[in-house]
Amino acid sequence: MKKLSESTTDLLQEIKTEAAELPQNKRRDFMLNGLKLTAGTALATAVGKVVAGQENLPPNVPTWQKSLGRGVVSVPYGQPSKHEANLIRRTVEWLTADKIASISMSPLHKMKGIITPSGLHFERYHGGVPEVNPDDHRIMINGMVERPLLLTMDELMSFPSESHIHFLECPANGGMEWRGAQMEALQFTHGMLSGSEWTGVKLSTILQEAGIKPGAKWVLAEGADAAGMTRSIPLEKALDDTLVVFAQNGEMLRPEQGYPVRLFTPGWEGNTSVKWLRRLEVGDMPWAQREETSKYTDLLADGKARKHSFVQEVNSVITSPCPENPIKRKGLLQLEGLAWSGHGKVKRVDVSLDGGVSWQTAKLKGLVLSKSLTRFGMEINWQGEPLLLQSRAVDETGYVQPTLSQLREVRGTNSIYHKNSIHTWQVQTDGAVNNVQLG
Amino acid sequence: MYNSVKKYLKILVLASAVQGLFISPAYAEEAGHYGLGRIATPEEIAGWDIDVRPDGLGLPAGSGSVADGEGLYEGQCASCHGLFGEGEGRWPILAGGFDTLSEGRPEKTVGSYWPHASTLYDYIRRAMPFTAPQSLTADETYAITAYVLYLNEIVDEEFVLTKDNFSTIVMPNADGFFEDDRPDVRNPTCMKDCKDPSSIKVTSTIAGVTPTEHMEEGASNMTEEAPINEHGKGIYNQSCAVCHNNGMAGAPITGDKEVWADRTKPGMEAVINRAINGYVGEDGAMPAKGGNMSLSDEDVAAAVHYMVEQSQ
Repeated sequence: MKKLSESTTDLLQEIKTEAAELPQNKRRDFMLNGLKLTAGTALATAVGKVVAGQENLPPNVPTWQKSLGRGVVSVPYGQPSKHEANLIRRTVEWLTADKIASISMSPLHKMKGIITPSGLHFERYHGGVPEVNPDDHRIMINGMVERPLLLTMDELMSFPSESHIHFLECPANGGMEWRGAQMEALQFTHGMLSGSEWTGVKLSTILQEAGIKPGAKWVLAEGADAAGMTRSIPLEKALDDTLVVFAQNGEMLRPEQGYPVRLFTPGWEGNTSVKWLRRLEVGDMPWAQREETSKYTDLLADGKARKHSFVQEVNSVITSPCPENPIKRKGLLQLEGLAWSGHGKVKRVDVSLDGGVSWQTAKLKGLVLSKSLTRFGMEINWQGEPLLLQSRAVDETGYVQPTLSQLREVRGTNSIYHKNSIHTWQVQTDGAVNNVQLG
Repeated sequence: MYNSVKKYLKILVLASAVQGLFISPAYAEEAGHYGLGRIATPEEIAGWDIDVRPDGLGLPAGSGSVADGEGLYEGQCASCHGLFGEGEGRWPILAGGFDTLSEGRPEKTVGSYWPHASTLYDYIRRAMPFTAPQSLTADETYAITAYVLYLNEIVDEEFVLTKDNFSTIVMPNADGFFEDDRPDVRNPTCMKDCKDPSSIKVTSTIAGVTPTEHMEEGASNMTEEAPINEHGKGIYNQSCAVCHNNGMAGAPITGDKEVWADRTKPGMEAVINRAINGYVGEDGAMPAKGGNMSLSDEDVAAAVHYMVEQSQ
């Protein structure tokens, strides 16, 4: 065996000492670079001289390979690796008066698909999460129906069911930034957004079972939470693609998502998909509930407000690079993002590197489904130049995601809801990414 | 089909027997296609169908005066919404804000923004007070509704709101809303030379308002092993946080080391007893078990332990 030269050993010791003063995640890179520069082939033969922090790297056999792992059902319900503990929902505490009527955001910067793991789906409660016992839960259908019905969960789940992949988005997503950029993280600028496979019974099937009376035009959906959350849904939507959902991503709904049953109105603002659904009432006019008059109406600059603004219009955002995902090295890099539209499929996404002066069409990566998150991406060669990254989605109706200036021009800055404008990330020469707005 | 009809009729008979109700023959004529579920009785519907529409449909019999509403409001509502509807902390402002809707910082209150009085009755009935929803009687709800209208100068102080005069209330912003007319913006899909690069003005974020600790260099990506009193935390979030997160009604704020050090001087047993049995003093008021009598003494103790742990 060839011995390491004395000078190499000294250099390794020096690297080790310096590395000890660095934070953990930096240390590995630092040492790797240092070792590449100095030890070179010498290290490859240095078996038996294990350097701290390198014991799991080749040529050493990692510790987890030298003993047995844990057996089946040691964790009966699987959990993410402890190394992913940073991948969690987060909230911005100053947004609301209390956590019981508040919102948390999904970690979009780490999402690598169009399905959000159920435990990371964003949360929005108006009166906290009720602990509903499914055996004691009933769904009432009343109002302008031939037969007012009361269904148990077992009865509900005995109707024919369907599964669909759709996004769900709070209409307040991005709403903190009408007046200016505020949030230095993708999770907070766009995280009131998630995607899931939803399984349930078509609402039309249930309404037909009760028998809709002539003259009916609206359906009120009511939750069994402390807020008694209610929204009026036009009968046309109720009979179109609205589902009464009991499962999400293949398992029963999570409590945070309405266990045991919720409404799901594909492509529409999140709170119309009423959670913990206990009642559906058929009527001939909207109910003008608090969450469709006082809230979830869009105040314009002239003091008038748009109501029944149900659809989440086309939107997109670059998820990498982003403030949480700075650029780490020069050369080829994979720019990635998500696009979605409440009107149907995403047709195209364009990307600009120069703040909207010029655009290139990105590649749609994988499934392109109606009213679903859709991945897009582009390969760029970055050599340390500053960038102003933007994405602009177009949906199958031909509607083009607007700029913030265009939205402000027609809506002012007091709308709170439905801010679907083109978002800008500023990439600095060191690869750091900032949230900015362009004037 | 025959089976489902038979099942349906059986359910009807059973429902009639149990409830002792007359069910109209119209229902019995035919079941739905799948024959699933049973007919909801009028009593069952009455218990759950609590919505009120702008045309007054759904209003229960009853009445309430501004004078009665004042006392109820001060006891049940003012701790969050303020004595005059001005709102405490970030809780909703209920009164005032007239003529601000087109200003830079509009104040959207019941008086300045809400288009229908029915929404006020409906929402108080279904969701207020925040910590005890659906606990008010029909008359109490009329009275508090009347008082909030009075705070907004929509009715006078002698006013008595009833089911019959409800439709006479006209809200100041009744005409302030219009139906969705989007798309309201057209963005042409320009691909080249879309703007002059020198015209681009970049505005950065406001510093210090984003929770970014998790993004900082060296932030741990590993699960912390520190034990957390999960039971106490759950109880706390459900029943205590509403007041103890923000100091409502003089509640010691969880995490305020100084105040908690003082409160725990008499010993944990005394603190737990106070939480279980309630307390009224100059420094605040603690309802027994935080007002949630479904909690066991052990639940309350676990929550107190959690709060003390979080305040050390």
